Amino acid sequence: GDGGAVPAVPAAAGRAQVFSTVVDTFLEKLVTAGSYPRFASCYRCFYKLQPQLTRSIYDQFISQLQSSIKEEIQEVKNEGNLEGLFNSLDKIVEEAKDREEPAWRPSGIPEEDVRSALVPYLLKHRSYLRKVLREKEEENRKVAKSVLAGRDRIAELQQLIQARKQAWQ
Amino acid sequence: MSVDPMAYEAQFFGFTPQTCMLRVYIAFQDYLFEMMLVVEGVILKKLDAIPGCQISPSQIRKCTEKFLLFMKDHFDKLFGRMEEVLLQLVLNIPRNVLLPEDKVHEQYPYSKEEFQALQQELQQLQQQCRAETAAGEALRAELEEQKVVMGELEKILQWFNGLENICREHGTGNFKESFAFLTQNSKKLQDVLKDVVEKSKKMEQHEQLL
Repeated sequence: GDGGAVPAVPAAAGRAQVFSTVVDTFLEKLVTAGSYPRFASCYRCFYKLQPQLTRSIYDQFISQLQSSIKEEIQEVKNEGNLEGLFNSLDKIVEEAKDREEPAWRPSGIPEEDVRSALVPYLLKHRSYLRKVLREKEEENRKVAKSVLAGRDRIAELQQLIQARKQAWQ
Repeated sequence: MSVDPMAYEAQFFGFTPQTCMLRVYIAFQDYLFEMMLVVEGVILKKLDAIPGCQISPSQIRKCTEKFLLFMKDHFDKLFGRMEEVLLQLVLNIPRNVLLPEDKVHEQYPYSKEEFQALQQELQQLQQQCRAETAAGEALRAELEEQKVVMGELEKILQWFNGLENICREHGTGNFKESFAFLTQNSKKLQDVLKDVVEKSKKMEQHEQLL
């Protein structure tokens, strides 16, 4: 056999393309290995009797095997929505291409990981509370001013009334 | 070398890549065996139709086994290579790639302490809000009370103003003085009345004794 571990696909090929190519290559090489001469040599006794039949049986065998394998691959792709996922992943990888450091990965401890997920909500809540507090404080400042003014006014009225009372004694 | 569980890939694809490959391997292998059995079956049937045939079924079985062994060998090698490529290039997420759904973890890498501090800050803010609300209610309550009190006081002041206006209108110059005089007189009258009542009581007592 040959050595080729990685098929020569252009760097720009997406995952879906690589997937197809790799499966096709696999099939190709399998069929090449299970060649007709090989088949005929294994079934030599029958081949000598019925060479044409041997050929036709082989052709059917290979064709059936290939279509079964292709069908299975298609089923796997459909079930897992692989085409869509491959394209998404290609995009995500492309977007991260300028980034060198390893990215975050789940720590395996749910409590740790869920913290970061909650933080945005807590931050939103915090800015909301700060706003409400500011508004209440402002409002209370205004009302407090009115209350102080009221107290002054009441003291004033009381003084006036005292003065009148005295004048009438 | 430890086996990479490919958990992050599983998170994205919804299956573990290795599991997927295994399933495909088993399926392909099954087809291969199936096809070989079919081939053998067809050959045996054809042999049956040939009169005076010398070839025994066990011979055919040996042929099948030979071919199958050969196929299986190549199949395993080729599948192994295919699996390697797929796991490396297709069914994998590079180290530097972060899935969009995990963006929060990079944006907000809060440690346990930072997280708790944030929670405490929220509690504090909530308490402060409650305090301000209570203060606001107290202030507004006092404001209401003040309204009532001011109303009463203003009424009294108005009453006084009213009195003075009456005096001015009726030209009674020192109405205040005469009012004061009246109040004193009425006091004197009350004292006199008290005397009279006492004296008449004493008189009654004397009459009874008599």
